[in-house]
Amino acid sequence: MSNNNETATLGKDIGLTLCPTCHKVTCCKSEHCSRCDAPLIVRDYASIQKSWALLITAAILLFPANIYPITTLTNQGRVTQDTIFSGIAHLVKTDMIPIAIILFTASILVPILKIVGLSIYLSAITFKLPISKKKLMTGFHVIEWIGRWSMLDLFVISLTVAVVNMGQLLDAKPAPAATAFALVILLTQLAAKVIDTRLLWDRLEAKDDSSTNT
Amino acid sequence: MGMEAIDHSISLCRSCDLVIRKRALPTGVRALCPRCHTPIYDTPYCSINGMLALCLTAIFFFAPANLYPVLALEFLGSLRTTTVIDGALAVYNQGYWVVGFAVLISAVIAPGFLLLSILSQILIIKYGLKSLVLKKVLKQLLKLQGLLTQLTMLEIYVISFLVAAFNLADFATVSFGFGTFCFTMLFIMTLFLMREYDLEHMWSFLDEQ
Repeated sequence: MSNNNETATLGKDIGLTLCPTCHKVTCCKSEHCSRCDAPLIVRDYASIQKSWALLITAAILLFPANIYPITTLTNQGRVTQDTIFSGIAHLVKTDMIPIAIILFTASILVPILKIVGLSIYLSAITFKLPISKKKLMTGFHVIEWIGRWSMLDLFVISLTVAVVNMGQLLDAKPAPAATAFALVILLTQLAAKVIDTRLLWDRLEAKDDSSTNT
Repeated sequence: MGMEAIDHSISLCRSCDLVIRKRALPTGVRALCPRCHTPIYDTPYCSINGMLALCLTAIFFFAPANLYPVLALEFLGSLRTTTVIDGALAVYNQGYWVVGFAVLISAVIAPGFLLLSILSQILIIKYGLKSLVLKKVLKQLLKLQGLLTQLTMLEIYVISFLVAAFNLADFATVSFGFGTFCFTMLFIMTLFLMREYDLEHMWSFLDEQ
């Protein structure tokens, strides 16, 4: 359509859009997809707001998830409470470095990177920041893929709690941070899922092409 | 502007809305969007009979994977075992129902429904495409497919056996059960099934008649 857009013809320029549910190419004018009857949305502008809301809630919950203990362990009458971090520190002390690395990545690194990454991504759309779109999109794909691995810690806790239940002798119980942590995972996954990524490519188009001549 | 007949060789990138002209691909190659590198389409292997075999095998392993213990712990002579469902219920009973539900859904319910849904999709495609009611069922199943795939986290659960076992080996004797074997097999079958499965290809069966 416009000359400074290189050869990038967009679906909405030629009156076509992709059904968000079944990925069928359909005419922009129809309201429902002819194949799966899902409502068609050419651009979901509200998705940015929804995603911000989910992301901010997740960022707030990240604090209780890391500050409060996530497990309570009774070992021969002695009660110790572990936060996510102290649990990993304990693994390092007992020379289980590989497990410590897996848990550190899944429970600390991934949630933080996800929240930071998504807020950079959303800021780039909301405030029209001149960040390379390719890098943002690569980051987004990584976040989408790796995000679910945070569930690892919850699975480990559920297995541990079920198997270690011998009263005063040896007993493991979940503690308040577990719920907060579960919600952080849920909310960040949703925040990444609702974003209409086409908005990023729409909004930064003009700026990128005028500043760089590639 | 305002095309009435839609050109079938044209596709749009779902991440950036770029217009892409489809070309034939050799097997095992994926087409990426030239602008944002999102995978657009590949040549689906997607043999219906192959998927049926994998799906039935996975369903075969599903029951023992959930009924037999996946982890056993021996401490001062007393033995404790747990199944996947027990694990979720144990957390639930302690009052952490959010965590309990998360575990139950991502390790038991979603995989179960995913396998049942794929089995019904295959059977409808093989035998039931003439019937309008079954076509409607297929449409609904395909619409739910994305959600079920996202919620299924078998691969993470398999890793969590190992992490939990190493964690507990510190103060007790840990052993795996028959359930661990079945669960791992369930995971492997589902992994291969999902590699064969191609959602776009499944949707195309609805277009044909």
